Amino acid sequence: MNPVLAIVAPFLAAFTIPLFFVFRKRWIGSSIVLFGILSALLSLFVAAGGERAVVMGGWNPEVGITLVVDSLSTAFLILAALGFSASLSAATEAFGYGPWRFYVLFFLSWAATNGIILTGDLFNLFVFFEIFSVAAYLVVAYPPRSWQAIEAGFKYLIFGTVGALFLLIGIAYAFMATGQLNMAILARVLPRAPETTLSVVIGCLVVGLFIKSGTVPGHFWLPDAHSSAQTPVSALLSGVFVKVSLYALIRLTFLLFGNADGRVFFVLLLFGTVTLCLGHLMAFQQEDIKRLLAYSTVAQVGTIVIAIGCASAGGIAAAVYHAFNHMAAKMGLFLVAGVLAEDRASRDIAQMRGLFRHRPLFVLAFCLFAASIAGIPPLNGFMSKWFLLVAAAERGALIPAAAVVAGTVLSAAYYLRAITAFFSPAETEPPHLRPHPVTGAIVMLLALLGLVLALAPYIDPLREGLLAVGSDTSSGARYIGRVLQ
Amino acid sequence: MLPISYGTAIIVFCIGLYTILSKRNLFKTVIGLSLMEGGVLMLITSSGYVPGGVPALLPFAGGEPVNPLPHSFTLTAIVIGAADVALALAFIIKIHRRYGTVDIDKIRGLRG
Repeated sequence: MNPVLAIVAPFLAAFTIPLFFVFRKRWIGSSIVLFGILSALLSLFVAAGGERAVVMGGWNPEVGITLVVDSLSTAFLILAALGFSASLSAATEAFGYGPWRFYVLFFLSWAATNGIILTGDLFNLFVFFEIFSVAAYLVVAYPPRSWQAIEAGFKYLIFGTVGALFLLIGIAYAFMATGQLNMAILARVLPRAPETTLSVVIGCLVVGLFIKSGTVPGHFWLPDAHSSAQTPVSALLSGVFVKVSLYALIRLTFLLFGNADGRVFFVLLLFGTVTLCLGHLMAFQQEDIKRLLAYSTVAQVGTIVIAIGCASAGGIAAAVYHAFNHMAAKMGLFLVAGVLAEDRASRDIAQMRGLFRHRPLFVLAFCLFAASIAGIPPLNGFMSKWFLLVAAAERGALIPAAAVVAGTVLSAAYYLRAITAFFSPAETEPPHLRPHPVTGAIVMLLALLGLVLALAPYIDPLREGLLAVGSDTSSGARYIGRVLQ
Repeated sequence: MLPISYGTAIIVFCIGLYTILSKRNLFKTVIGLSLMEGGVLMLITSSGYVPGGVPALLPFAGGEPVNPLPHSFTLTAIVIGAADVALALAFIIKIHRRYGTVDIDKIRGLRG
């Protein structure tokens, strides 16, 4: 199956929904559901279709735009399909089908996400990043009545655009140095560029991706966007949007600079450690439950950046594994926190007392997800942190490894603060108790996904798949060979 | 010839970045974004220059054509930049309606 279908299907949805609004209003609801299922299925089919590289329009790879499916993009396609479907189901329950503009933006960001994951062309990567970002700014600012959300969206826009321009100037330098934009060809010719040029290209690309992914010097947009957005959007931001930039970081650092310049990985280790520490410390001080979860996301981004910075096959495997675990757990946490905050009409942790008696299943799910994020042994978060610590120890990066362990303790402390509030007796009954059957089902599925992921190291196909992602991506030879065969 | 155009592009980029970092007025922030974008686009466009080149239009008038590829990148990036700026201005209008000001310091939500 041609990989472009995974990009075309959500675009088709995004551009058909307005037509339905004009001509057949009654079909909007069912079309959103059908397009969601279609997009998810096509993404999964493309992911399941095996590795291949397709040059659009039948040109040479030097001229045409390549779409590449390799093991890393397969993993992230699956992650995006799972995350977007979960968020879409939660959004249909939270918003209904009335705000069709939201779903247009939703599908636009889905298409662009798949595009970022599949593309093998540097400039095309930038274009997809911008489609994705413009849709993301608006999705964060939804609904337009909420002032906080508008401000968070504006802040995200400023940071995101500065990041995108750094990305673009890096791409421009790479083009000026080599005259090529295809990533596989660049991987061959870029290391021959002068060392100064290479440093500037690396610097610009890494700064751009740091800002886009919310690594420390550019993390200011992340807590605001996560806490001000609506619940399904917060879940999506944390589960998928942040991961896409990390995917681009893995792909570009290893493909373009993996052999050329090892210093980039030292920078990743350094900033990953700073991000991790700052994220955990800031999360510790938060009173607002969604801001707490958002700063915890900052910390987990730091963890994944450390895993990338280990510059080894094991490090990449740990990064991908942790991305999946964080997606499952943090999406669940945001969905549960949204439901509980709605019950109390407040996001203040102190107001969340006594909710265990009202929503026992949601609170138990919260405990499971929190334990998984903190890294309590049998759960999935522990497994990926274990992989990460092994990779970091092999690399000799002991300070980042120690920071990961210390962060585990801190995160256990701040999640316990929220959980203590849920289990302590309440002074007042919660004012409303709207049933959330769809969100409940998604939370259950995410918990199941987490349990399956916890067993991944013991299930042969999954373990082999993860290790294959690591070994294929760290050398890059397989990717280059597939594109230039 | 060429180093001057590259230098100009980088200086414009840096002026834009400085504007974003230092100015407290939201409109000036957006102007900074536009300046940064202009700088990058100038850099890309000038990278296609060939000394003594002719415009890359068919049929060739003779001589070596300049590289037309950066020009198409620039067009794409201009469209994207226009979308970004338009969206930013729309957000500013919404923010101004709520707070009656475009000063970052007086807007509560845009903190830390």
